[in-house]
Amino acid sequence: MSSQPTNLLQGTLDLLILKALSTGELHGLGISRRIEQMTQGTFCVKPGSLFPALHRMEEAGWLSSLWGESENNRRARFYRLTKTGKAQLEVEKEQWAKVAVAMTNALKAT
Amino acid sequence: MRFWSRMRSALRNLFRKEAVEAELDDEVRAYVDLLTDERIAAGMSAQEARRMALAEMGGAEQVKQAVRDHRAGARLELLGQDVRYGLRQMRRNSGFTLTVVLTLALSIGANTAIFSVVNALMLTDLPYPHPERLGTIFTHVTGSSSWDERHHINGEQWELLRDQVPALLPGISGIRPSGVNLQSGTHVEFLHASRISAHYLDVLGIHPIFGRNFTGTEDLPHGPKAAILSYGLWRTMFGANAGIAGRVILIKGEPYTVVGVLPQGAETPQNADLYLPLQASRTGEGGGTNFIDIVRLRDGFTWQQADAEIDHAWAQRTNRYELEDNAGAQVSYHTVPLQRGETVTLRPQVMGLMLAAGFILLIACANLAGLTLVRVLRRTPEIATRLALGASRWQIERQLWIENILLAAAGGAAGIGIGLLAVRGLLRLLPEHLLPVKSVPLDGHVLAFTLLVSVLTSVLFGMLPALVTRRFDLRAAMGSRTATGGEHLRLRQTLIAGEVALTVVLLAASGLLIRTLIHLQTLPPGFDPSGVMTATASLNNLRYHDPVAFQKLLEESTEAMRRIPGVEKAAAGLSLPYERSLIMAGITFSGKETGQTAIADEVYVTPGYFDTLGIPILTGRAFTTADGPNTQHVIVINQAFARSYFHGANPVGQILNKDARIVGVVGDVAMAPGIDAVAPLTDEKTVYIPATQVQASLLAVVHDWFQPSWIVRTGGPVTGLTEQMQHALAGTDPDLPFSGFYSMRDLLAKTLAAQRSEVAMLSVLAALALLLSAVGIFALVANIVAQKTREIGLRMALGSTARQAMIHIGMPGVRASALGLVLGLMLCAGALRAMRSVLYGVGVYDLPILLVVVLALASVTLIAAMAPTLRIAAIDPATTLRDE
Repeated sequence: MSSQPTNLLQGTLDLLILKALSTGELHGLGISRRIEQMTQGTFCVKPGSLFPALHRMEEAGWLSSLWGESENNRRARFYRLTKTGKAQLEVEKEQWAKVAVAMTNALKAT
Repeated sequence: MRFWSRMRSALRNLFRKEAVEAELDDEVRAYVDLLTDERIAAGMSAQEARRMALAEMGGAEQVKQAVRDHRAGARLELLGQDVRYGLRQMRRNSGFTLTVVLTLALSIGANTAIFSVVNALMLTDLPYPHPERLGTIFTHVTGSSSWDERHHINGEQWELLRDQVPALLPGISGIRPSGVNLQSGTHVEFLHASRISAHYLDVLGIHPIFGRNFTGTEDLPHGPKAAILSYGLWRTMFGANAGIAGRVILIKGEPYTVVGVLPQGAETPQNADLYLPLQASRTGEGGGTNFIDIVRLRDGFTWQQADAEIDHAWAQRTNRYELEDNAGAQVSYHTVPLQRGETVTLRPQVMGLMLAAGFILLIACANLAGLTLVRVLRRTPEIATRLALGASRWQIERQLWIENILLAAAGGAAGIGIGLLAVRGLLRLLPEHLLPVKSVPLDGHVLAFTLLVSVLTSVLFGMLPALVTRRFDLRAAMGSRTATGGEHLRLRQTLIAGEVALTVVLLAASGLLIRTLIHLQTLPPGFDPSGVMTATASLNNLRYHDPVAFQKLLEESTEAMRRIPGVEKAAAGLSLPYERSLIMAGITFSGKETGQTAIADEVYVTPGYFDTLGIPILTGRAFTTADGPNTQHVIVINQAFARSYFHGANPVGQILNKDARIVGVVGDVAMAPGIDAVAPLTDEKTVYIPATQVQASLLAVVHDWFQPSWIVRTGGPVTGLTEQMQHALAGTDPDLPFSGFYSMRDLLAKTLAAQRSEVAMLSVLAALALLLSAVGIFALVANIVAQKTREIGLRMALGSTARQAMIHIGMPGVRASALGLVLGLMLCAGALRAMRSVLYGVGVYDLPILLVVVLALASVTLIAAMAPTLRIAAIDPATTLRDE
């Protein structure tokens, strides 16, 4: 695996955000750091893609947000999964699994 | 779920924008703060940490914009921005906006008005239940002369249709409602009565609010006399009396029993005040084609079955008049929708006007395409800047289209207003009962049409600028201050040439109609129309079925009128010049021409008729008081009759109809056609008979169809003439009101009303076309002047005079118009031939009209092309060159 952060595949950002939030609520920077941690630094989500995605997903009803205090007492907006969001995570996981298998097979083919 | 969630967000984003924005602000700021904290915790200085955080953020504004772009409702908001920007542009260029909106308003208004007539005549359902099952019968004859039209039917056809065509429920009426007098106490009211068959109202699906429709017995010859009142008559004459059914009223001097009252707003093709049973038979009135049929398809039958049954039933007829004088002809019958049957004669005119209105729309589009093209070119720097700043071509185009649609919407809205006014004007212009509909509404159809036309216009005139911006070269645009090539000028000239060509066709067409109208109005009438006043009264009355009473009335009343001070002469007759008169077929000859029969107008007259109207006696004599009921039957014929049947031989002394001797020949007068509708006014073959010698059996039926006229000739204006005429009539019959007074000019106007309104409408459209073309040429040249100010300055600095510069600049407009003129004349060569059938006294290719069109267009072109160049005179070469 390269140490350079990789560009996100179209559609994977939603899945990563949903996954990052599956363990509990996080604020924007928290989500970004959690994704970096989960992917061992492969994916680094910039605010320019993170924020539009968060707002879009909230408007779709997958996330809800509220203002709270960060660990060092800063006001921040926290996001958490809604019920539909949890369902969506399952859907996207399944899809990803299919894609991953398909891609692996495709690359193995001679 | 997802959709509703997005909808909620979209509404919040659009309507609580400030709160949403503030939150986004906070969120982005918090992100930077958190990032800074993180860096400080990692051991950076506060300043360095903040710098790094901002760098990682990558521009707070871009991030926020990215969020905005992806927000629900973002597209709608962008659209809102474009619309607001477009409106601002419209306000800023108020001259341009006004020109465009006015052009659109006039052209869309004209189209809306004429389409609303088309709609009322052809698209709106007839006001009857199941209008699709209503029809009428067309006669289709193929042979040496062929035709396919709605023909009136005779009594034999009616009986066969009624009894032997099970697929149809048929009804018939008289051709026109007749004038009758209704007597109620001492009050006598003149009304229009329509005579209808038993099931006529059932065919239309009209059921009386009181009482019932006519029964079969009431429709039998000599059956019981029954009447059905219209709602209006029931209210005005009978005080909306709910117990009216069964009451006896006095119509035509005879008692009729009221059997029903029609519902409010009930329309029939006859639109009369009251309805009486027709009581048709094969004889008398039914011996000729004096009935109009309407039919309703019965349940379970098809129109094809109906057609076959009619063909079969009418093949059994003894009298097949359609085949007379048409050797080897084939005849068949077919049903057509009633709406088509009722409007078939108006269709060509209305469609012609619709075509003219379409021309107007094309002309307007050509103008607007030119104007918007110039405006887009003028906005080149703005567009270049936007493109350079990263706007996509789609964004630029969307902006232009939105502006076009806004303009079209404004024009369309104004067009509806103008259309509404135009329809009102149109209806005032049209003679009453010309349109077989009660109203011309601006309904959903019309509004949909206007919307469609507006959208179509915006596409048509917006296409050109859009195509031009598609080929927009950014570098070139940034380099030059204005981007206009000769290519665009040529394009605009082509547009102008096209619109001028259409204008030429409209001008020539309206010119031909105007010439026709002038020809008809100045046609030698064959009599002296000045100083004549006429009055009509209904003799459709039992009293006047008696020849003695009828003769006494005419004699005494004309004598009394002659005694009115100022009146020189007075007479009476069944019909007047300019009017349609009674047609008599089967006039027989004796002597050389035995066996031949003639068809001619027949007019009964009192002895003073020719003298009073000033109709010249060419040979023989006029009638005198000596021609009485018991003396030798005499006839006076007109020149047209003499020409047709006596071929130059002296007709005086010849015998017609076995016992009537021709005693004189009079000059022809202009009449509305009855026998051959070759022109709106013609010299019809006419025979005159003395009023004293009218067959008694004919009196009743003739007065059912026609109202005779009283005529007085005065030396000068006589005050209270009409009252005195009524008074003179009352001396003999106090219960006989005149139903109207008309000068000869009124009668001519009445006969030519349809022509006049057609001329007026087409002329308005042609004038509009000319105006729009002038605006187009003006705009083209004005634009060149604006663009070439520097060039002109240079030319003048180099010694060109202002005059030369003006000609140089105005020339492109003149050239475009000249090309259009040539194109238009070529178009005329083909297009005007279609007008042949409506032209009288003028050929399709009329040199004076073409000259007038060329002159009018040339002068308008010169004015429109030269007016904007007047600004050139004010150009100071020194200033414009310094401006460089």
